[in-house]
Amino acid sequence: MSTRTVKLVVVGAIVAGTLVAESHKEWHFNVGPKAGVSVNNPYGSISVKPSNNNTVIINAVLHSDKVEVDNRQNGNRVDVQSHLLPGADATSGRVDYEVFVPADASVTLHSTTGPLRAEKLHGDVSLEGSAATVDVRDVADAHVHVKTLTGPVTLSNIHDGHVEVDSLSGMVTMTAVTGQLVQVISTSGNIVYIGDFGSGGEYRLTTHSGDIDATVPESTSADVSARSVRGEVHDDVPLQPRSRTWNSFKQGSAFVGTMGKAASSVVLRTFSGKIHLKKRAEK
Amino acid sequence: MTCVELQQSLAEIEDGSSAEQQHHLRSCSSCTALVEELALIISSAPELIEADDPSPRVWNSIEIALRQEGLIRSQRAKRPVISSFGARWGWARWMVPAAAVLLIMAGTYVNRRSSSRQMVNNIAPLSTPDVAAAGLNDDELLEAVSDQTPVAQAQYQDNLRRVNEYIQDAKMSVEANPGDEEARRSLLEAYQEKAMLFDMAMDRSLP
Amino acid sequence: MTEPRQRQSTEFNEAEAIERAKQGDAEAFQALYDRHKRRVYSLCLRMTANTAEAEDLAQEAFLQLFRKIGTFRGESAFSTWLHRLSVNVVLMHLRKKSLPVVSLEETTQGGNEEDTPKKDFGADDVALAGSIDRLQLQRAVDSLPPGYRTIFVLHDVEGYEHNEIAGIVGCSIGNSKSQLHKARMKLRDLLRMNRAGKAGIPKQ
Repeated sequence: MSTRTVKLVVVGAIVAGTLVAESHKEWHFNVGPKAGVSVNNPYGSISVKPSNNNTVIINAVLHSDKVEVDNRQNGNRVDVQSHLLPGADATSGRVDYEVFVPADASVTLHSTTGPLRAEKLHGDVSLEGSAATVDVRDVADAHVHVKTLTGPVTLSNIHDGHVEVDSLSGMVTMTAVTGQLVQVISTSGNIVYIGDFGSGGEYRLTTHSGDIDATVPESTSADVSARSVRGEVHDDVPLQPRSRTWNSFKQGSAFVGTMGKAASSVVLRTFSGKIHLKKRAEK
Repeated sequence: MTCVELQQSLAEIEDGSSAEQQHHLRSCSSCTALVEELALIISSAPELIEADDPSPRVWNSIEIALRQEGLIRSQRAKRPVISSFGARWGWARWMVPAAAVLLIMAGTYVNRRSSSRQMVNNIAPLSTPDVAAAGLNDDELLEAVSDQTPVAQAQYQDNLRRVNEYIQDAKMSVEANPGDEEARRSLLEAYQEKAMLFDMAMDRSLP
Repeated sequence: MTEPRQRQSTEFNEAEAIERAKQGDAEAFQALYDRHKRRVYSLCLRMTANTAEAEDLAQEAFLQLFRKIGTFRGESAFSTWLHRLSVNVVLMHLRKKSLPVVSLEETTQGGNEEDTPKKDFGADDVALAGSIDRLQLQRAVDSLPPGYRTIFVLHDVEGYEHNEIAGIVGCSIGNSKSQLHKARMKLRDLLRMNRAGKAGIPKQ
């Protein structure tokens, strides 16, 4: 057998081996209103979308036979867990999930590697992953909680709920995110906010060494307070002055003021990063 | 008394102490194991009493309702000094010593310099805890992730360095401005970040 | 600060917090909430095994309490009052969902195969010994059928006596005892299976 033929055979065997080891599985669960769904997946992606009825559908792609999927339903709660077998690593232990849930279900996702994605839901969404990219979009009237070490985190079109993000070093980008409470805490990640700080909510964006970039329309109605201990602050938006309430603070750079009727409270804080409040052109 | 009868009798006398039960247990290792295991479950149950923390949204919703109903009549409450955000994620479950020590240290540190927040401070005042005695330090975190890939370990080391810098800077701010509530809050957020880092590291090391 | 002085200070603070809450002090309400939130929330979570429901119920329990705080005269401990109210809130919720609060079966000889006493106590399973990991126990409790879960939480976790449970839930004392025993047996099975799984023993 020629060398070239041997190589082709070897490649074929490897491809065949890969195809044989990967398996697809699917489960369906009937649930009632406001079901709880959790997926715990050490390695691999989890994507959650709404289903058309009161059914939870779990589609899983297992990348080898060194990982199993355990799932159970207890009343109105469905728990899914990727179960690593001896010898599994980040590659062989990988499972990729596509999950469909009733839109009012509460969803909890956990993956070390991620990515984690959820969209078009109005039940509470909790996402955690130390190195996972997180993407949440089109969520209304619910609470969104995200926890990650390296992120990054992207939130889009989230309204009328609470948003709490803790991203140690990952960047956090929020577009059209409003609610009664929007809180982002980061150690070294940058925070980008594009929106109008609406809903008369409390907004608190805090990073230790990252930068904060907020772009708002002129129609924004907010009481804004920005401060950096060691970094610079820039304000491109005309703010009305308000009485200073923290005269004791002596360090760093800051600006405070109101826009419109000051319906929302906006607090921007960084220790050594920069803060930039920019104006977005009105459509 | 048969094994089946013994089991049924446990509904009434759960510790197997009746004469009839004792007579059976003396010669039945399976039933003896059953009684012992049930006793273990019973004794472990009270640990679940205060096992979990609600997310901050619960208080937020309560506060909004109380204001709307006119039950809160004072000026708008300041945000809690400690966010219980992290607790939702299992600080209590996995890292009660770690997170509690970190938060208690923050509270003790803040408490020493705060003259007016004793009643509403979320942390029970304690004498300064010994972090080393609690078995929690940076070396422990690095050891917990030592079985991960070199890249992952380097990330943890880097994140640890960043949060420690955060804590140091926040402490300096509190010392420079003892009356500054923002500075105190920043310190607590810094500890919260470190507790999250520990939480993630320990979670990864569990089977 | 020595411990006895600390305890005295704590009692004084709660009484003061209650009085200030009656006056509408926001920080006082929050202090009372912070002091009792874990107990209330954990109870709700254990009984419902659903974090969103548990949060809603905890919120409802505190709101009901705070609405009535003007009538609290200190005849009993504040925590007892709050706790009993929380249990009622959860039980009402379970009833509304048409979930069995407690099964009406009186004896252990039910028609359900699961409930019949086992002759073989699984000699091949991995025994429970030493201590039980709290998270495993939590998960096992969450996995119990709702009726079993209620009785186990009320009796073994929260410490209610059978006569109290009978009064709260509306069942007989005998029913409470038999359901509790079944709940514990079920927990034992769940915990054993969990240990067998971890030890790599194949499921049968």
